[in-house]
Order: sequence, then structure tokens, then C-alpha cells
Amino acid sequence: MSSEYLLEVNNLTKRFPIKGGLFGREVGAVKAVNDVSFKIKRGETLGLVGESGCGKTTLGRCILRLLEPTSGEILYNGQNILNYGPKEMRELRRKIQIIFQDPYASLNPRMTIGSILSEPLRIHNLFEGKKERQKRLYELLDQVQLPKDALNKYPHEFSGGQRQRVCIARALAVEPDFIVCDEPVSALDVSVQAQVINLLTDLQKDLGLTYLFIAHDLKVVEYISTKVAVMYLGNMVELAEASELYGDSRHPYTKALFSAIPVADPSKKADRILLEGDIPSPMNPPAGCHFHPRCWKATDECKTAYPSRTDASGSHYYRCYNPIN
Amino acid sequence: MSELILEVKDLVVDFRTDRGKITAVNGVNLEVYKGRTLGIVGESGSGKSVTALSVMGLIQKPTGNVSGGEIVYRGENLLDKSVDDMRHIRGNKIAMIFQEPMTSLNPVFTVGNQIIEVLELHQSHLSKTEMVDKAVDMLKLVGIPSPEQRFKEYPHQLSGGMRQRVMIAIALACEPDILIADEPTTALDVTIQAQILDLMNKLQKELGMGIIFITHDLGVVAETCDDVAVMYCGRIVERADVHTLFKDPKHPYTIGLMDSIPSFDSTQDEHKARLRTIEGMVPSLFELPSGCSFQDRCPRVIDECRGAKGVPVLSNYKADHKVSCFNPSH
Repeated sequence: MSSEYLLEVNNLTKRFPIKGGLFGREVGAVKAVNDVSFKIKRGETLGLVGESGCGKTTLGRCILRLLEPTSGEILYNGQNILNYGPKEMRELRRKIQIIFQDPYASLNPRMTIGSILSEPLRIHNLFEGKKERQKRLYELLDQVQLPKDALNKYPHEFSGGQRQRVCIARALAVEPDFIVCDEPVSALDVSVQAQVINLLTDLQKDLGLTYLFIAHDLKVVEYISTKVAVMYLGNMVELAEASELYGDSRHPYTKALFSAIPVADPSKKADRILLEGDIPSPMNPPAGCHFHPRCWKATDECKTAYPSRTDASGSHYYRCYNPIN
Repeated sequence: MSELILEVKDLVVDFRTDRGKITAVNGVNLEVYKGRTLGIVGESGSGKSVTALSVMGLIQKPTGNVSGGEIVYRGENLLDKSVDDMRHIRGNKIAMIFQEPMTSLNPVFTVGNQIIEVLELHQSHLSKTEMVDKAVDMLKLVGIPSPEQRFKEYPHQLSGGMRQRVMIAIALACEPDILIADEPTTALDVTIQAQILDLMNKLQKELGMGIIFITHDLGVVAETCDDVAVMYCGRIVERADVHTLFKDPKHPYTIGLMDSIPSFDSTQDEHKARLRTIEGMVPSLFELPSGCSFQDRCPRVIDECRGAKGVPVLSNYKADHKVSCFNPSH
């Protein structure tokens, strides 16, 4: 049962129907995630980057089945979880957890930290008995470096960074193997952001966790990930080892995305690829490669059909007719 | 050095809250020069936006109060101006763009209408057709394709980047001396951010205004600013020109901020270096320690910082490089 890959996603597609007209007929669809495939090894981190509307959050939610995918397969430990019934799903959710972006919105303001953290334990009937549970709560607070007296406090008594620690502790409570981190540091100040990133890497080492790390900040993703996947308008356009992607990106969009990041060094003038225009609406994406209207390497071929997958070296692949180099 | 247009002297801004009075800005000194960009960097609650709002005369009384200092614009103290006089300056001589282009445009008026509104207020000598022409010109200036068409559209018909361009067009419609940009690209995606920063640089060269650029992103500062002020808990802790600051930061907070950004170089080797962080968190403005506000998080803290010598004063480390620290890095 224990294959090398903890999670394998094959040809996953998620469409959101657009309803219109008098009888609410389906008049179109947003292809939020389109034919996406990837694998994550045990103990590794896959970073998922892309700009707003590229489908990265939808993809993360599909994996937890918080959204039901339209088609495709999600293999967790070799088993397709899309065939799971509610009972099996409930058990699986002990193994897969999620951390959300906004620690201000994802904690119930009327619950103490103690009841927030013991809720998942209660639901899954873990650490039963008052003493056992208390011990587990202290252990969790210790893991995320919060003081013991936090248990009786309410979320508003904590800063953003501390709240995100509570969210991490809540995800860890049920001893998961896999955590989807959906922009976990985007809402935090830089100095606090670094603390949370270090915490996540430490926990991964200590507990052998596997992460899907979703973010729009390329520097953070590069830092924390083993492999990085880049999405544009619902498609995964490139996937590679984190170190390889930065130095050797093949897809023009990846290249442009990296070059757009401001460099914290005034003596280096970034030689920037300025993309023209905006991200098109996913309701009505351009024909062929969705990136072609903004791409400086576009040819007529790009307007006809979506490029299929080209394998570069190792796990590196991209989808482009005119790759760089 | 180019012409000095704005000088903020010892600015103090208080807010009354249910839990008592807090001082959001405490003795800030700044200068804005023609054609140059001053960056104000800091984390949330450091007082950078409040400083900007004070310059605009937008601190709401009676909750907020500018209780000390001067804001001198071309030789005149803006704090002594009447409400009417301020109205002539705000939006006309000193304009501002905000972080959230989605919420700072009025959804029930067309884009063109919102540009014309500024012109009606400040350039009433223009005729109606001249105003329309000017508004279309402004849209063209900020790089909006088919401006005549966009002129008639509503904000919801535009993307985030386009809306921020419209905000810039509104701010620049009266050719202000000073443009205050409060996190203008924070809500935008990186590729769109690059477009907007490029546009602002170009417009500054063309129109020669002084810019105050407020941001928390050191990368953006490095690329757009000429001078930088780093703020922490309502005070400026370090000031220098951008090259000096990035090459030779002196205040432990500035150094900490720079170290906590992951850089691409650090990920090249197999063993990723652990990110260096600043310990702890920003103290609440209600419970500032006596002495230096940064003492509890500072790796270089010494006895002097604990309050016996008061708050460290922003003083010359070198010419044009000011630091407020008892034990600056060497």
C-alpha cells in the first residue's frame, strides 16, 4: 500500500457552471482547473504558484474534496479518494488537513483556543479522557511555540502570527500526514512570515509531514518547496525541482513571473520582462495556449490547440510550443 | 539636491480609543524633494499610513488629533490652513492613491465621471469639453487601451490593474506637486505590479512630482525609491538614500527585515539555510516599553536601551545616514 508517492493527481478538472436565462440553464462554464496532473512524494513539499484566478486554491480544495472535481483521479496512498463514501472520507480527513490564508477569519471568535484545538480531537474520538486530552493540547501548543495559558484565551487576544500558529496546531491535532497550506503566510508581516515558515519546515522534519504549499509569493514558495508547479488560467504550465525552476525555467510565463519580482537590491537592475495586458477572464479564455496574447514568443501554432506536455529532465515538464533555450 | 517641496517636522499624531490614548506617530521628520521618491517602510501599525494621512489633512477629529509638529509645504504650514484652503491643496497640489483600487473607486459613476469630478473641483476654468478631452488624455497617459471607450465604463468593468491605473489618472489629473502612494501595488499580482511600478517611474520622469511611497515590501523599495525611511512603532528608526540603506543597514530592525526575506540565491544550495527571523512580535502601542520600542526583539540590546537613557534619538551616523539606536551594527 505504501507507494513512494503519497498523493497522485491525474487529469483533474473542475468546471463551475455558469447559469443564465429564465430557467437557470447552463450557459457556459469556468474551467477553474483543467487537466492537471502531478505527484507528491512522502515528506516532500509541492509549491503551487500562480496569480489570482489561476485555480490554485480550487485545486487545493478539490484534493480535500471540499469541492467535488468534475473529472480526473486523486490517488491518496494509491487509492482513488473520489470513490470514497462519506464515512471513508471522514476517516481520511484525519489524514489530510488544511491551513487557510486568513487567520482572522478561520478561527471562531467565540471559542477559546482550548476548545478550538480540542474540537478535531472530539470529532475523531482521539485522546479521550480529560487528562489525555489536556496533555495533547499542551503538546500541540508546545509544537507551535505558544504559551500554555493560551488555552483559556480567545482568538482576538492574539496577533496575526500567533493566530496562524493556532491554525497550524488545529491542523496538527489529529496527527495528519498531509497538509494543504493555502497561502498560510500571505496575510502576515515579513518578520512574522519568516517565523511561520521556519515553524512549518521544522514541523515537517519532526513529524514527517507532506505539504501542498499554495502561495503567490514566489520567493516563499521557492524557499519551502522541493518541487514547484506554476499555474496559469487553470492549467499547470510548468513543474520542476525548486532549484531548477528558478535557474532554468522553460515556459515564458514562468520566466516572466520570476522576472517581475522586485529585487531587494538597488544596485541590481532587474532585466525585466514586462508582460502586456491583463490575465484574461477564465470564463472565456483565449483559444489555444491561454497565455499566447501576452506571450512574446507566441506563433500561429499557439493559437490553435493547447500545447501538450513536454518532459525536460527528470520530473521537470512544461507545456509550451516555443520554450526558452 | 533638487528642490525641497515638503517638510514634515516632529509630527505627533494621537488617537483616542476605548482603552485610552495611543500615539500612532511620534516625532517623525521627513523631507520630500521634487522628482524624487521617498519610501516609507514598516510593518502593520508602524504609523506609515497615518503619517501620509496627516500630510493630506485626513486625520479624523475628534478620534484622531495631530498634536504636535509642522507639515511645511512650500514654506507654509499645512496644519494652520483652514478647511477650505486644505480642500484646494488636497487632490490638487498633493494627491494620493490607495491600496485597494476595488474599493476606492465609486461603483455608480463611470471612470470618466470620476476624473472629471477632480477637474471640476480644482480646474473649474476649463469648459466641459476641455474636461472630457483632458480626462481621455489622462487615461491615455496611464496606458489604458481605447481610452474613449473606457471613459464611459464603470469600475466593475475593469480589472484590478486597470482600476489602479484609473486611480493614478485621477490623482495626476491636476498635475500635483506631490503624489502619496499608500501600498499602491499590494493588492495586485506580481506581473501587474511590475506594470504599475514601471508606469509610476515613467510618469515621475515626465511630470517631475515628488512621490511618497508607502510599502512593506523591501523589493519594491529597492526598485522605486531614492530615499528610504524605516518606521517602527510610530518612529523612524533609520533613514538613508536607498543604496546606503541596502548596502550598509545600521539599525538591528532594518537588518532583521532584510534578513527575513527568502532570496533566490539562498535556495541554490542543497542545504537551505534557515530563514533568520526577528524574535517575538510588534508590541502593542498601548504597552510600549520605556526606552527603545524594539528592545524586546533586538539581538543587539544593551542596558541603555531599557529606558534609563530614554528613547534613542534619530541622529547622524554619517552624513545623510540617520539611525536611532544606542548600539547600531558596525
